[in-house]
Amino acid sequence: MKKLIDFKVFLKGIWKENPILFIMLGLCPVLAVSSSVKDALGMGIAVIFVLTGSNFVISSIKKIVPSYVRIPVYIVVIATFVTITDYTLAAFSPQIHRNLGVYLPLIVVNCIILGRAEGFASKNNILNSILDGLGMGIGFSLIIFVIASIREIIGNGTFLSRSILGVSYNPFLIMIMPPGAFLVIGLLIALKQRIEKGGKEKC
Amino acid sequence: MNKKEIFTGIAVITFICGLSGYLLAQVYKTTKPKIEAIKRIEEEKLNKEIFPEAVKFEEKEINGIKYLSVLNSNNEEIGKIFEVKTLGYGGYIYLKVGIDKENKIKKVKIKEHNETPGLGAKITQDSFLNQFIGKTKENIYLKKDKSNGRIDAITGATVSSRAIVDGIRKLLEDIGEKIN
Repeated sequence: MKKLIDFKVFLKGIWKENPILFIMLGLCPVLAVSSSVKDALGMGIAVIFVLTGSNFVISSIKKIVPSYVRIPVYIVVIATFVTITDYTLAAFSPQIHRNLGVYLPLIVVNCIILGRAEGFASKNNILNSILDGLGMGIGFSLIIFVIASIREIIGNGTFLSRSILGVSYNPFLIMIMPPGAFLVIGLLIALKQRIEKGGKEKC
Repeated sequence: MNKKEIFTGIAVITFICGLSGYLLAQVYKTTKPKIEAIKRIEEEKLNKEIFPEAVKFEEKEINGIKYLSVLNSNNEEIGKIFEVKTLGYGGYIYLKVGIDKENKIKKVKIKEHNETPGLGAKITQDSFLNQFIGKTKENIYLKKDKSNGRIDAITGATVSSRAIVDGIRKLLEDIGEKIN
């Protein structure tokens, strides 16, 4: 039997089993939103909220949901959380809401959330599921923040919309287009492997 | 699967859907007035940015074209604001185009768009939109499309730029045919 609260569950989402660099789920919003740091942060916060909330609810109802209806139930729970986030942001933070645009409702189909519901919350206790949601959400946000920083600085010469490389800088445009995201994600994955294996393995 | 299992499945899914429906209805009810207020304020702010001296806006329609008639403190019309819908790269772009009394473009503002962040989304910047001020329909083409075009496209966002140029030119043509 697993421990009631296991902090390794929280930490693994941030580094070892990072949703972007290890599980590699939910890459679509990563490609789409990581072209500017501000949007990436908004997306990260929305994902943390939805992931933690849906993990909590799904873990609490796991015993009463028969396995053959679990997927539609999960989708309804996730969609409910996303819609609540959508309305709340629209009412209280219209600026972030406008920047997230179509990507906010698209969190419903972000596979990382259904992936964690199916892969973790439906098999573990409530506290660990919340920790897993927080860890995975924070891991997602950190990496999307790093990707967005690299892309915005190189591809646009700005950071948080403030020019940092000066007007004479000629932006490397491909970095803020979707291929740029693939390049950065690939390099980060390689970097993670390198750090973990300590360069002992030969390619 | 026996009957009992089927029944619990139906019961659970009905319960969950009902509960989520109820929750969403509550959230919708509490946030709706706030969201609408924000939309109204934003729309007004946009109109004021186009005509800072305006005091009142009145909705009017001529030959099927709807517009806002802009009035100053003496209740005289100082211009019109038209709304243009044009197909960009990521769906429709909604523009507000202010036209002054001489039928020249006063200012263009983007009301709503879904263009790519970092690329097409630059259409909202003044450096692009201010190019339209005072232009006539003969000059509203992208420089690279036509020799008498006077509008610079945004690097990497030709589709979005062209959509706006086409939308505004069509509006000016419509005004020329139907209003004057």
